[in-house]
Amino acid sequence: MSTVVLLLSAAATLLVGAVLSLAVAHRRHGAGWVAVAAMGGAAVLAWVVVLRTFSAGPDPAVTLLGVPGLGAGLTLAVDGLSAVFLAIAATIGVLTTLFAVEYLDRYPSDSVAKYYPLLLLLFVGIVGVVSTQDLFFFLVFWELMTVTSYFLVVFEGESRAAHQAGLKYFVMNQAATLGMVAAALVLWREGGSFHFETLRPALERLLVREPWLGHGVLLLFFVGFATKAGILPMGAWLPHAYPAAPTSATAAFAGAMSKLGIYGLVRVFLTLVPVSSAMTAWGWVIALAGTASLFVGTLTALKQDDAKRLMSFHVVGQVGYMFLGVGVGLVLLPSNPWLGSLAVSAGIFHLLNNALYKTALFLGAGAVHTRTGTRSLNAMGGLGPLMPWTAGAALVGSLAIAGVPPLNGFASKWLLYATGILGGRGSPLLVILVLVAMFISLVTLASFLKYYGSAFLGPPAENRASGGGADGPPGGRPAPAPSRGRPPMGDVGPLLLLPQGVLTAGCVLVGLFPWVPLGAIQEGVVGVLAQVDPYGAAGGIPPESLGSHPALGLALGEAGLALWAPLPAALALGLFALLVYFGLQRAAGAEVRQVPVWVCGEEEDPAALRYGSGSFYLPFKHAFRGVYPTVRVQPPPFPSPLRRALNPDRWLYLPLAGWVVRVSRAVARTHVGVPQVYLLWIVLGAAAVVAVVLLSFG
Amino acid sequence: MLRTLLLLVLVLPVAGAVLAGLLRPAAIRAAAVAASFLAACLAGWAVAAVHPGSYEVHLGSLPWLPGGGGQGIFGFLLDPLASVLLLVATGIGFLTVLFSTQYLTEKNRDHAVAAGSQGRYYFWLLTFLASMVGLATAPNFLQFFLFWELTTLCSWALISFYRSEESLRAGFKAMLLTHSGGVFFLLALLVLFTSTGSFGFDALARLDPGPRGWVFFFLMVAAWAKAAQVPFHTWLPDAMAAPTPVSAYLHAASMVKAGVFLMARAVAGVWDVPAPWGAVLAVMALVTMLVALSFYFVQDDLKRLLAYSTIAHLGYVLLGVALGALGSEVGFRGGVLHILCHGFGKATLFLSVGAVAYVTGTRSIRSLGGVARSMPLTAAAFFVGLLAVTGIPPFAGFWSKFMILAGALQLPAPLGPAILVLVLGESLVAFGWMLHVGQKVFFGLRTPAAQVNSDPPPAMSGALLVLMAGCLLAPLLGIPLVRLLGG
Repeated sequence: MSTVVLLLSAAATLLVGAVLSLAVAHRRHGAGWVAVAAMGGAAVLAWVVVLRTFSAGPDPAVTLLGVPGLGAGLTLAVDGLSAVFLAIAATIGVLTTLFAVEYLDRYPSDSVAKYYPLLLLLFVGIVGVVSTQDLFFFLVFWELMTVTSYFLVVFEGESRAAHQAGLKYFVMNQAATLGMVAAALVLWREGGSFHFETLRPALERLLVREPWLGHGVLLLFFVGFATKAGILPMGAWLPHAYPAAPTSATAAFAGAMSKLGIYGLVRVFLTLVPVSSAMTAWGWVIALAGTASLFVGTLTALKQDDAKRLMSFHVVGQVGYMFLGVGVGLVLLPSNPWLGSLAVSAGIFHLLNNALYKTALFLGAGAVHTRTGTRSLNAMGGLGPLMPWTAGAALVGSLAIAGVPPLNGFASKWLLYATGILGGRGSPLLVILVLVAMFISLVTLASFLKYYGSAFLGPPAENRASGGGADGPPGGRPAPAPSRGRPPMGDVGPLLLLPQGVLTAGCVLVGLFPWVPLGAIQEGVVGVLAQVDPYGAAGGIPPESLGSHPALGLALGEAGLALWAPLPAALALGLFALLVYFGLQRAAGAEVRQVPVWVCGEEEDPAALRYGSGSFYLPFKHAFRGVYPTVRVQPPPFPSPLRRALNPDRWLYLPLAGWVVRVSRAVARTHVGVPQVYLLWIVLGAAAVVAVVLLSFG
Repeated sequence: MLRTLLLLVLVLPVAGAVLAGLLRPAAIRAAAVAASFLAACLAGWAVAAVHPGSYEVHLGSLPWLPGGGGQGIFGFLLDPLASVLLLVATGIGFLTVLFSTQYLTEKNRDHAVAAGSQGRYYFWLLTFLASMVGLATAPNFLQFFLFWELTTLCSWALISFYRSEESLRAGFKAMLLTHSGGVFFLLALLVLFTSTGSFGFDALARLDPGPRGWVFFFLMVAAWAKAAQVPFHTWLPDAMAAPTPVSAYLHAASMVKAGVFLMARAVAGVWDVPAPWGAVLAVMALVTMLVALSFYFVQDDLKRLLAYSTIAHLGYVLLGVALGALGSEVGFRGGVLHILCHGFGKATLFLSVGAVAYVTGTRSIRSLGGVARSMPLTAAAFFVGLLAVTGIPPFAGFWSKFMILAGALQLPAPLGPAILVLVLGESLVAFGWMLHVGQKVFFGLRTPAAQVNSDPPPAMSGALLVLMAGCLLAPLLGIPLVRLLGG
């Protein structure tokens, strides 16, 4: 079967699943399993496409459906770049849907008819976005994603906060999309078609002839993709919408949907922008936007006490790393294609890793939420012994997102830093950006130590009045009564654990064998670049290897050398950890005592002394207070004089109606009810007619 | 055969209207549904049979009026342009009749309707349907004008149907404003006939550029009045005093579309409109869109909000037609496609609001909330209609709006880019506000007014379902038709 047939079958599976899950929506779990089956079937088909693409090379593009008169057609093709995103989306889709089956029991008053069908349609949109080669249909699928995800954000029927967040999300993304529509139309006017291949020369001509317009088009694309990905300030919707959606949907957004912002960015800026100073300039813009976003997003995350809100700000921060990678790549591509392509790959590799650990972390927060009924970190504590598996997954995810070796987050960050520093010999600004990113890595670690520490470690928060502001969904749905304020009874069920486990295992495996996914990503990026001049003309980018397995290595002539060998490092780190553990135990020799907490010789209520999440990093919070400004937009008042001026009743209709009434009254006055008068009118009328006829023809 | 088909499409609703005056209430409904359903089916058949060509037949002429150039005065013209309006008028007409059968009953909590007054309702509604058929398939301006005035008359009767003070005033206003536009139509006819001796659409092309401009202007005024464009737009929000199915049909899908259809006919008749008049049409359309938008934010009645949205979207259609007059075929096609797409979207919105009013007894945005919980189907219909009207892909409105925007960009600066920016701005703000209102009405905690039990009865739900499908599939129907348009 060809790629197109497989893609269409995947889409058809999802659509059939959507209809079926709608039909059986009265059975919550039944609908869930239908959705899992559909998502699973589609994922298998998508993975077949991915494997075929990497083993046999991309199939030629096929145009299915033309829009006459517009030069648009549904052209489907999957190249290496698309395949990477397809694989990520398929995997995340299955795992988050699996998680949802049991998780949605948290919302007994909300029908799953507004969840599964829309979720499946969302993935139809995702498959469409990554596999179409036509900008018009790209935008159609793009909006399909926005529409369906909006309804997932507002899933919780009675939560006002969810609705406000959803409105903000939809309107901001719609604004961004309308900008991209305008950009697409400008390119269409220049090139006469929406196919990516014709857009490149069109943009090239535009950049030469009308540079302002050309750069305007690129700005609109940049804003469009940055909005979806969550780059600040365009991504200001994200910290509101992500916590508002059910966690299973949030995880799908974080793992799959928002990532397509990066896909669009790479696709447009790598294949449409000519290799010139324009590419370098936009590379700087993207890298700076990414750095700003990772700086502000992560520092703001440090202050959050709501588990999901904390992670949502980390989405903003993490996506900054990806933008940084892509931006550095675009900066370097004209001068050093190999290093540039590697930096882009580093950004995408970080995206893959982020999809793994961020989804796992969101699911973990969801699992905690189901057990404790709260998302407020202040109200949690000591969950580690009670929910060991969830705690373990959260620990691995936290370390991975912070970039602790040998986990996957480190591998991609390492590559990102290495390319930035190696390429930064000519431009010190790159090195500065990389240093900022490194500093923020530490902040990430701090932030997740806080998350892990306040949720899973320490004494249980059983005695605390769980009255945090972020207690439960902000809409005020009361949490399920039995679990509120009491310690959870045990870990969540296997259905909620399995997706976390798979993702966590992925984090470890990718961390230990980074060259496997990285090779595929690099192949995809190089494959895309080989399609465009001047790389295509030069026979593609020289296939310099990433070093010999089992290590990643970058050698750049006299520029320097960077090397990362995860397996030996993991071994060394493991040995070191064992050594420290036993060494400390042995050397200290102190016995472990269990005593009540005391302060200044007096015993105190443990809950009062608990180091809650609100107590973390107070100096930091103080220092970076204004880093995330809150802006309230007031609608302008509608001036009433203008409203009067806009009311033509006053100067058009009422005079007209008055005139009609007056004329009717005048006519009515002739209506006296006396037969003789009517006869007189008839005679006069007849005389008038005769006079007219005589005068005309006589 | 086609002649018989088209005659049947015209005569069946008339027969239904006559029966409505004679039968008992229960039988009236059956007769009305049957007549409109058959008319819709036969209209679809006729369109399919003619596609992709066009069909013209002349059936009669007036002996004392030389039908210039051997043309008859009465007949049928079924070309792609007529097909679009015919499909909207008969298709949505049928769904409206279907919806009405359960809406106009004593169970309606918004406006209980006694069985005795149903004959009057269906008589006017079906007469209106017939006059829309006659208007859509008119082969010349004279027949167009006659049916045009007939729709005005039916509109007056239907707006005033409840016979309250408010509805009588609204009916009079609609009648007066649209009819004073009709006077300009008459003026255009006189100029046309005295100069060329013909009422044919192609006679416009035979006029000298000077008179042609004036005829075009007179037609434009008539269209503005009929399609509720600035400065004549105020009759439409007041006309919301009509029963909701009437608003859905007359004031969103068909009668107001007659106005924009007239301009499409006029432009398609010449393809060489003096450029300043085309620019006037475009600018007035933009002004209308923005003026209508400015009234969104102060509305509390859902139907009035939809009425202002309709005004804005008729502006879109006229904008597309104006783009055609200025030389962009894509824009013209987009405008004509918007007749179909907006017709389905807005009818869905109106009927879902009707369903809400039927069940809850109110249309006030302020007093409604959380309706989706008890009326999921109605809520789905509202949001589908909203997305279709505001042009969110993959729903219908997106395709036509996109084509209008593409057409705008084909114009030289500064008009083209200015149109693009204004239209996109209008789209975004209108979308944001409509979504806000939708959330307010359908999501959140249930207000006392919304403590109701369920979706409306099956006939109403069925009509909503079909319209929802139409909101998605209308472009599939429309694009093959509009692609045939062009100079």
